[in-house]
Amino acid sequence: MRIGVGGPVGSGKSSLIAALCRELAGEFALGVVTNDIYTTEDAEFLRSTGVLAAERIVAVQTGCCPHTAIRDDITINLEAVEELEADQGPLELVLVESGGDNLTAVFSPALADVQIFVIDVAGGDDIPRKGGPGIARADLLVINKTDLAPYVGSDVDRMLGDAAARRGNLPVLALSLVAPPHARPVADWIGDQLSAFARHGHLHSSAIGAPDPHHDHPHAHSH
Amino acid sequence: MSAGAVACLLLADSRFPAGSYAHSLGLEQAVSEGLGVNGVAPFIGARLRLVAQPEAALSVAARRAAQAGAAALAALDDEHAARCPSPILRDVARRLGSQLLRSAATAWPSTTIDRYRVDSTMTPRPVALGVVGAAAGLSDIEVAMVALYDDAATVAGAALKLLGLDPAQTAHWLAELAPRIGSLAREVADDLRPVAQQAAPAAVGLELAAARHADRRERLFVS
Repeated sequence: MRIGVGGPVGSGKSSLIAALCRELAGEFALGVVTNDIYTTEDAEFLRSTGVLAAERIVAVQTGCCPHTAIRDDITINLEAVEELEADQGPLELVLVESGGDNLTAVFSPALADVQIFVIDVAGGDDIPRKGGPGIARADLLVINKTDLAPYVGSDVDRMLGDAAARRGNLPVLALSLVAPPHARPVADWIGDQLSAFARHGHLHSSAIGAPDPHHDHPHAHSH
Repeated sequence: MSAGAVACLLLADSRFPAGSYAHSLGLEQAVSEGLGVNGVAPFIGARLRLVAQPEAALSVAARRAAQAGAAALAALDDEHAARCPSPILRDVARRLGSQLLRSAATAWPSTTIDRYRVDSTMTPRPVALGVVGAAAGLSDIEVAMVALYDDAATVAGAALKLLGLDPAQTAHWLAELAPRIGSLAREVADDLRPVAQQAAPAAVGLELAAARHADRRERLFVS
């Protein structure tokens, strides 16, 4: 299963992925593909945390076009994921981290089975109200760095309310990686996705146009 | 207008997902070593003569050989390797070829493409382009034109990200090259000799620069 992790620059995608690796690496065969804008910095950061074997982390360069690499022309990322799976596989979970991007960036369903969009309180508490495809349609929205809210004058409840208004029934998690339960709620959500994936081999992404191959037969489970 | 000519436009369109947006084809290293705005058009011209033309000849040969089976295409894979001593540039060619074939296999479902993807371990882009050209119904001259134009346009696109430039200016450079690209394409398409008997100029400077580029920590482009 492949999970896309997107969101603006500095919202904490790499730190969240490092924390998720810490939570999940013992449970699942895991790999990470990073999309660096300028250097292999994100991959090096992840390798330096030691949460995952260095060879389980690969970096691809996107020629200044991070949104292209996850949406319009995903061939570079597909090749990277498949090479990682071939070298290290079989892998149960691959996290694909997009290069920091704007609010319009979303993953193609051909690259990510489901996607997490990460924003943070320091980017301004009007971001959920502004909306955009990532905010409105990502399978999980994470509002990160809630510990900073008092210092930057952001209202987390307002952000959660605006996000809920944009997202209908889709889940939103407010998160701080510096205090318990750290990334556990996101790890649990991923665990749920993995069990759903294991039950019937694919997921129902909320992304518009995502393939939904088994709706030709009736089923009773919930997703 | 023939269907092949329209397929030619589709292949040459930067919106066709083949991953070339992440490549500068040597321009990034040249710029970091002092090439300025005035050097880009001559750089594109030099590539046309030293790299793109011999590669276009391989593409045309691959288009002709595509129906002839695995051995004929494997021989062309070897011809490419013989013309490309740099292992870095061979790897770049393999990746670009593999990405092109991946999208083309969906765009033009064909056993020609499927067989080559299975048979070839190298999938150098020039040979891959010829195989795709055969599946998409391109003529020899159309394949040559795509090969030559794509090389020039990839460099021009990268120039916009590497140097402060008016985007209309790079379009002007490409427009000025149109007669040259047209006559080179005609020359390549009219040459009926086996590629082994055609001239294979060496772009030694580009080969050496590719190694310096790969060693750099900070780079925007894969090549």
